[in-house]
Amino acid sequence: MSSPGLVRILYIEDEPDIQAIARLALVAVGGFTVEICSSGQEALQMVTSFHPDLILLDVMMPEMDGPATLKALRTLPETTRTPVIFMTAKVQSHEVLQYKEMGAIDVISKPFDPMTLSSTICSIWASYHDHSS
Amino acid sequence: MTILPDSFQKQLTALRETYTQQLLNKLQQIEDLWAERHVNWNNRTLAALHRMIHNLAGSGATFGFVTLSDRAFTLERFLRTIMEADSPLTLEEEAQVSALIAVLAEATQPDPLPSSRLDACLLSHPSPPLSKNNRIIFLVKEDPVLARDMMLQISYFGYTVRTFSNPSELRVAVNETIPAAIIVDLVSVDGGFAGTETIASIQHDREVPIPILFISVRSDLAARLLAVRAGGYAYFTKPVEISALIDKLDTLTAHQTPDPYRILIVEDEATLAAYYALTLEQAGMLTSLVTDPLHVMQPLIEFRPDLILMDIYMPSCTGLELAAVIRQLEAYVSIPIVYLSMESNVDKQLIALSLGGDDFLMKPIHPDHLVKSVTSRAQRSRILRSFMIRDSLTGLLNHTKTKEQLAIELSRAQRQNLPLAFAMIDIDRFKSVNDTYGHTMGDRIIKSLARLLQQRLRKTDCIGRYGGEEFAVILPNTDGKTASLVLEELRSGFAQIRHQFTGQDFSVTFSCGVAEFPRCPDVASLSDAADRALYTAKSRGRNQVLLAGNA
Repeated sequence: MSSPGLVRILYIEDEPDIQAIARLALVAVGGFTVEICSSGQEALQMVTSFHPDLILLDVMMPEMDGPATLKALRTLPETTRTPVIFMTAKVQSHEVLQYKEMGAIDVISKPFDPMTLSSTICSIWASYHDHSS
Repeated sequence: MTILPDSFQKQLTALRETYTQQLLNKLQQIEDLWAERHVNWNNRTLAALHRMIHNLAGSGATFGFVTLSDRAFTLERFLRTIMEADSPLTLEEEAQVSALIAVLAEATQPDPLPSSRLDACLLSHPSPPLSKNNRIIFLVKEDPVLARDMMLQISYFGYTVRTFSNPSELRVAVNETIPAAIIVDLVSVDGGFAGTETIASIQHDREVPIPILFISVRSDLAARLLAVRAGGYAYFTKPVEISALIDKLDTLTAHQTPDPYRILIVEDEATLAAYYALTLEQAGMLTSLVTDPLHVMQPLIEFRPDLILMDIYMPSCTGLELAAVIRQLEAYVSIPIVYLSMESNVDKQLIALSLGGDDFLMKPIHPDHLVKSVTSRAQRSRILRSFMIRDSLTGLLNHTKTKEQLAIELSRAQRQNLPLAFAMIDIDRFKSVNDTYGHTMGDRIIKSLARLLQQRLRKTDCIGRYGGEEFAVILPNTDGKTASLVLEELRSGFAQIRHQFTGQDFSVTFSCGVAEFPRCPDVASLSDAADRALYTAKSRGRNQVLLAGNA
């Protein structure tokens, strides 16, 4: 029940139009503090100053993809344990399992509905803390 | 939901406009890249194309372009199979990609649905519209004892009944739950109806009326007219024949969505097969893929397709030969076989049809066209088939089909190493029922047992009418003990159903024998054991369920 508050979200996504609508959805609807990075490399810089509570990570990005970014994030002291949610196109349940085995707490499928993105994140956050406590 | 400022709506609209403006540009880039295949095609261009499509699939619906997302997703999956195959593009693949890009380009108008959904959210309507519950029946009846009795009778057929003693209570309840139907049985002082005004006003408030069934002692036209004016769908005079009432409820609450059509795809080229499967599945059908035509028998028997979609030119045997083989099996004389082919020569097409095919679809085929052609043929096939395999009185599987199905389910159970139960049911002293009350009554009782079985067993269970008053049930993935419990519950439910005969009530019982796999290893021993258990149940006084081996 006493899950720590979710305030700061880092979203790693290379598509500018998705970036814009995600920012709107997370800030205006969800009331979160949000930073957005366009690549895994940029994110590795950002986390040293931003300290996110939660990271949203697009799976398919050029050069460094989602899983590779996750691996790199885990090597940094700031993000060794930060919960990560993968964002990806419609997935089947065995794929969700694969992503969870990589260390993601859940997967949100794209395209997302900007109206419900924040509440989806909140419920994943709540159930993650229910299970881990 | 939090209250959102006006500026949010404006920003959202602005973002959607920007996306819409860029969309044509993006599609142009996709088409340009695809056109490059003639000059410079390699894995890198393919990957770039895949990426662009992937991005459309993942973003479209967020901005209101749901159809665009769906179509891009279909194309994305197809491109992925091509990438995984890692071989030069075939002519067929090329044609499919072109077709898919063309339909993608048609989806550049935002769909009306998501935008209105967004707006509805912004107007802050937190509660979703109430959906109709297909198994809940509301009953309005003053006398609580009689109401309870009727509630029980109806609930034996798998309905949940809530009772109300007056129309005002009903009105409150309807605001929370929409029932599948309302049964009104209210007597006014003069022996006519009461509450018709309230009922009519409940009906008046609704966009989609709720089916209402009236029950009354009066059978005159004036009373019936009153019921119709209050929105009555059906009218029953007392005493009510419960099976007639259930018949009516069944038709009123009939499943909106029938079982999905089952399509067997025989196509040696895996990417194409996957593409057809995906297209049909997105239209709500079930598919099974066979890439080696020599392996067609197993899925043919176990997948029970409504239609076979078949390529003509395959390496190990041609579609024509395969169709001829399938047609020689009696059980598959009626199954539609549709060829997919590049063959445009009419004479050759006619030869193919004479060998057992039903139709030709030309490759490459537009996804919508494929779905429509397959749907209409599968639908007809299913209707025809139901005449061949179903008993006309009850709609259950007939004797032949039941035995066939037992063999199929048993071989599946053997392969998957799962238990299976087989039950034989026989109505007790049925001959004397027929002699006392007549054959019409006998038929009605058979129908009521059939309906009870259909309502209360799982969709995966097979129910057959084995003979006159004899029924058989196959329960896959169920052991004998569990099956006995289920049948015991059915036995007790059936015994409590009261049948009406010229004002007088009577009830009927059944006996049942259950046998289980793996204790009985084959079809013959299963049906023998069930039959013997049934016989023992009869000799021990009837109206009981007996598990073979526990005698």
